[in-house]
Amino acid sequence: MSIRRWAPAALPALLLTLAACVGPAPTTEDYLGKARHSADSAVSALQTALLAVDSNRKGNLFAAYLDVLLSEAEDDFGSVQQQFDSIQPPHTDRADRIRSQLDTLLSKGSDTLSQLRILERRDESRLLVKTAAGIPPLVDKLTKLAQGTLQ
Amino acid sequence: MKLFAVALGILTAIGGFVDIGDLVTNGLVGARFGLSLVWATLLGLVGICLYAEMSGRVAAVTRRGTFDLVRERLGPRAGLANLAASFFVTLLTFGAEIGGVALSLELASSVNYLLWVPMIALLLWLVMWRVKFSWLENGSGLLGLALIVFGVALWRLHPDWGNLVHQIVSPHNPSNEKLATYFYYAIALFGAAMTPYEVFFFSSGGVEEGWSRKDLITERVNVFIGFPLGAMLSIAIAAVGALVLKPRGITVDHLSQVGLPVAFTLGKIGLAIAIIGFIAATFGAALETGLSCGYTAAQYFGWQWGKYVRPRKAARFHLVVLLSLIIATGLVLTTIDPVKLTEFSVVFSAIALPLTYFPILVIANDPEYMGEQVNSRWTNVLASVMLVVILVASVAALPLMLWTKAGQ
Repeated sequence: MSIRRWAPAALPALLLTLAACVGPAPTTEDYLGKARHSADSAVSALQTALLAVDSNRKGNLFAAYLDVLLSEAEDDFGSVQQQFDSIQPPHTDRADRIRSQLDTLLSKGSDTLSQLRILERRDESRLLVKTAAGIPPLVDKLTKLAQGTLQ
Repeated sequence: MKLFAVALGILTAIGGFVDIGDLVTNGLVGARFGLSLVWATLLGLVGICLYAEMSGRVAAVTRRGTFDLVRERLGPRAGLANLAASFFVTLLTFGAEIGGVALSLELASSVNYLLWVPMIALLLWLVMWRVKFSWLENGSGLLGLALIVFGVALWRLHPDWGNLVHQIVSPHNPSNEKLATYFYYAIALFGAAMTPYEVFFFSSGGVEEGWSRKDLITERVNVFIGFPLGAMLSIAIAAVGALVLKPRGITVDHLSQVGLPVAFTLGKIGLAIAIIGFIAATFGAALETGLSCGYTAAQYFGWQWGKYVRPRKAARFHLVVLLSLIIATGLVLTTIDPVKLTEFSVVFSAIALPLTYFPILVIANDPEYMGEQVNSRWTNVLASVMLVVILVASVAALPLMLWTKAGQ
């Protein structure tokens, strides 16, 4: 079969693959841009978990729905962390500093979300709320880091 | 009795307007861009109303399926290009809808969505095989009305209506988003509103239900009242996302996040209604896309098709439906993220739009088929302008998808 024949069929698959790729970060600015994106995505996952726990505290969520929300938030956060860690930073002090700061925050966030999932499955409503109280300061630091990266 | 049929048609059109593409895209866009992209939904609404009315009129006057006429009027080659593009996009959407039903059931049960997929496929096949067309269409459409709960949630959030209207009438790209990303999502919303299968299903359904010229008023009422009210549901989904998720910096990556504002506002009862709406909307759309796969192929090849005849008399039609179901189910079972699949299906819909809609415009203008019921001058002016928009969206969709890394 010639290339002309199979190319139209393979094109969508190729495009999907290309669109999903994480590119390299050759300059500090590129790296900071990716760090900002990672911080924003991390904030989204943390805020989803916080809103879910808050809604659950008010009796607005079913247990199954809460479970799905917290599991997805944890998975999303994990993939943000993994993607960020896989980027090769440029050899500059600024890039190294941002990497270290963001890595620390991402590790804390990951621990918090795992803990929330464990507590939710153990039906520990009070501890769930207490643990979720650690999210706003993390969100605050991530947001500041993202904004600081931009400047 | 006529009034009842009209009312039922409108309600079904409202409930049936929203599918997984509308749910995900509107939720995502609302949380990220507020209501600044509502213009794209409204543009898509104008397009789908124009072309759905046209294809319904063609079906009522000719009593034949769209692809049958496209092949006859434009020739087998042009017809085949039209069929290939439309079938591919509809199959992709079919997979996305099956994934949507599975995700909705996961929200209700916390059982992993992949475990639901085979059962959903079996149920879909049984319904498409056994259930009467009118039951199948009206049942899912009426249950889909449960999504009105998003409108109720919006009202209960007591928003600043002036600000919402301002966002709609003076759209702008948020400062933290690239212009390319803004237009990528505009095309996604446009594609979600104008998904090709809606037109195939609508016109083939007209043939299934035996529409004739005297049903044209009912058909127009369904389109021009039902679809705009359905689009209001889409806008309500975006609006609650804009009010509850956007201020918190939450971007929508999952169906669960689309329903979260309803739970936040209306509690468990509201959430239960929203989940019913999700299941009905996605299951109904899965039926429509599955049947549309059969309709398009059977009409093009000139086979007996439809649910108005016994399955053994339309064996090849049912075989295509069954094979499409197997492929779409297999696609979801590859563990591809159904939300990503949905996002890609609406963008590929936008790419395939010209191939779907241009032939309909040609046939609706042909007096040999349509007699006195050809398009009016105003319909042609509007449809031509819309075709230019469709072409621009189609050409821009792929470069924007690559440039923005699918809206990242």
